[in-house]
Amino acid sequence: MNNVQGTAGIRPAQPVRVVIVDDHAIFRSGLKADLDQSILVVGEAATVEQAIAVIAQERPEVVLLDVHLPGGLGGGGREVIAGSVALLGTTKFLALSVSDAAEDVVSVIRAGARGYVTKTISGAEITDAVFRVAGGDAVFSPRLAGFVLDAFGTAPADIADDELDRLSARELEVMRLIARGYSYKEVAKELFISIKTVETHVSAVLRTPALQPARADQVGRRTPPPLAPKMRYHFWWL
Amino acid sequence: MIPALTRPPLVRSSDRVIAGVCAGLAAHLGWPVKSVRIGMAFATLVGGAGFAFYAWLWIMVPTADESARRNARRPASPIAPAVSLDPAFSAGPPPVPTSPGLPAAGPWWGNPDAGAFAPGFAPSGVSGGGPPAGYPAGYPAAVRSPWFRVRRTRYGKEMLLGAGLLLVAGIMIARLLGVDVPLGTLIPAAAVLSGAAIAWMQLDETRRAGLVDKTKADQAGGWARLAAGLALVVAGVLVMVSGSGSWEQTWLALLASVAVLGGVVLVLLPWALKFWRDLETERAGRIRETERAEIAAHLHDSVLQTLALIQRRAGNEHDVLRLARAQERELRSWLFQDPGKEAGQLSARIKAAAAEVEDSLGNAVEVVSVGDTAMTESHEALLQASREAMLNASRHGGGTVSVYLEVSDGRTEIFIKDRGPGFDLQDVPEDRLGVRESIIGRMKRHGGSASITSTPDGTEVRLGMPALQTDNAEGKS
Repeated sequence: MNNVQGTAGIRPAQPVRVVIVDDHAIFRSGLKADLDQSILVVGEAATVEQAIAVIAQERPEVVLLDVHLPGGLGGGGREVIAGSVALLGTTKFLALSVSDAAEDVVSVIRAGARGYVTKTISGAEITDAVFRVAGGDAVFSPRLAGFVLDAFGTAPADIADDELDRLSARELEVMRLIARGYSYKEVAKELFISIKTVETHVSAVLRTPALQPARADQVGRRTPPPLAPKMRYHFWWL
Repeated sequence: MIPALTRPPLVRSSDRVIAGVCAGLAAHLGWPVKSVRIGMAFATLVGGAGFAFYAWLWIMVPTADESARRNARRPASPIAPAVSLDPAFSAGPPPVPTSPGLPAAGPWWGNPDAGAFAPGFAPSGVSGGGPPAGYPAGYPAAVRSPWFRVRRTRYGKEMLLGAGLLLVAGIMIARLLGVDVPLGTLIPAAAVLSGAAIAWMQLDETRRAGLVDKTKADQAGGWARLAAGLALVVAGVLVMVSGSGSWEQTWLALLASVAVLGGVVLVLLPWALKFWRDLETERAGRIRETERAEIAAHLHDSVLQTLALIQRRAGNEHDVLRLARAQERELRSWLFQDPGKEAGQLSARIKAAAAEVEDSLGNAVEVVSVGDTAMTESHEALLQASREAMLNASRHGGGTVSVYLEVSDGRTEIFIKDRGPGFDLQDVPEDRLGVRESIIGRMKRHGGSASITSTPDGTEVRLGMPALQTDNAEGKS
């Protein structure tokens, strides 16, 4: 079970303060037990309202955020990020989901999450992901890289005017390698660049306009992406 | 005579001014639409023959949708083979000889056609000559034929029109013979009837959707039709009523009626709205209920069964893990499947192969796919090779296997990566055919490429299949 993105990030001297937002108590306690000693869980929340309140109060470095949450206007994790938009500079969001739907993942990334991992990830992997996000990097799972490639297309931007909405050839290469299951270290080795450069490319992908969060004044008014009725109906227990 | 096969079937076109008859006719005959329309208008001026012909075709000729549905139900239309018969079916054995012409082929419609509608083609003919006695003569033939009973129920519309035409013809003959027919009442009555017909035409099968769907562009046309129908009915009623009294009285009566109608609408409108809303709510509730039942049934069949199995095998970690993975996969495919996506595409097949490997060896196989393509013979080889690679990776890698499929511009690439100890291709004995034959040899034979990179950190198999000219790759979505 080695899905980890690169070597563990540089462990900070102080423990990373984390808030876990998930509506399943079992999952929260399991995750807490799995996390490394150097991660300090300072708060938990089960609904959108609770999450916004706890995050505003605790101001954690990282929020482990479930994409699908009850409460609020039904926007789930996206709504939590929108409600904490003032803290986006200091608090990083790492999305957790069991969802396979590209629209769920991309919407939460667009809202401002710095990464996305699936809930089947192991404790060591999620610890590494938390350090990575806390250090300002993005965490890409192969699946997320696949979604990004699907959303942008696999042809590099070469014409100036659509450059904004597309990825550079190098970014595409990085995304493709991550989708192939490469760790950051392996990507760096494959492309003869440093791990730092890989992280820069990955962060640049998240800064691409198409993946950017909406401006603060638009956040409240954004409508959730259309979900198939069956899925919308279904997510109360996910 | 042009063979029937070359003609498109006669259906009412969606490119319509009134009912799409002229456009459909033009398409069927291969004539310009404009000349057909002008001809129809001209024939209408000559004793109304064009009008009768138009009405006839309007009622008899199905729209393209109806035609398709009708053809799907039964192979051939017994009445007018050229009308609703698909060209592909014309070669088959329809009960009557296929004719390229208009409704001239049916065994018993042939006669009335000739009588009533020949004037439409030949304006010099006398309009309203009335159908000759072909009807009773032809009827027994219909009784003898095997499709008689079907037609009895399905062609009520045609019967009605025939009766109407016979009536008109009878009236005309009667007038010619000097019998006094009260046209003063008949014409307004006809106006009322046709107005009602125009209004009700809205509920024609193809129109109904447009009426309900507010976004339909021809909604305005629908309302215009409704207004025209109403105007005709009101005018007809007015003429009928005014025949017996003065205009002042008529206006007064009209005013009173409008007032009464307005009052009734005012009283009943809230009721009607409430009723409508209740109906909508109930329908939505029923849909939700069905959905819920379907989900409950699915959960029962899959998740609950798996949970029961997991409880019984709680001691065996390997089994529990495998069951959980299999159930997760099944649930995911049910939840996130794209209904618009065609089954049997390459990505679906790769995922199925990955699931199979996962089930048989117990290690997770994660598939990420970008783009998709339809299967071809070479893709089949690619699938087999990647399945072999997945088996190897799962067997020797002993951990999660990452599979990445990318299709762009028809070129297909698959990467299978594991994190096992790796191996050297040189060290693989000659008699072990797994890698050499099933993966590399197979890809080469089908014009693809395969390469294997193995390091102590893991092994990656790269398979590539170039785009073929005949490939109908969809590329990116």
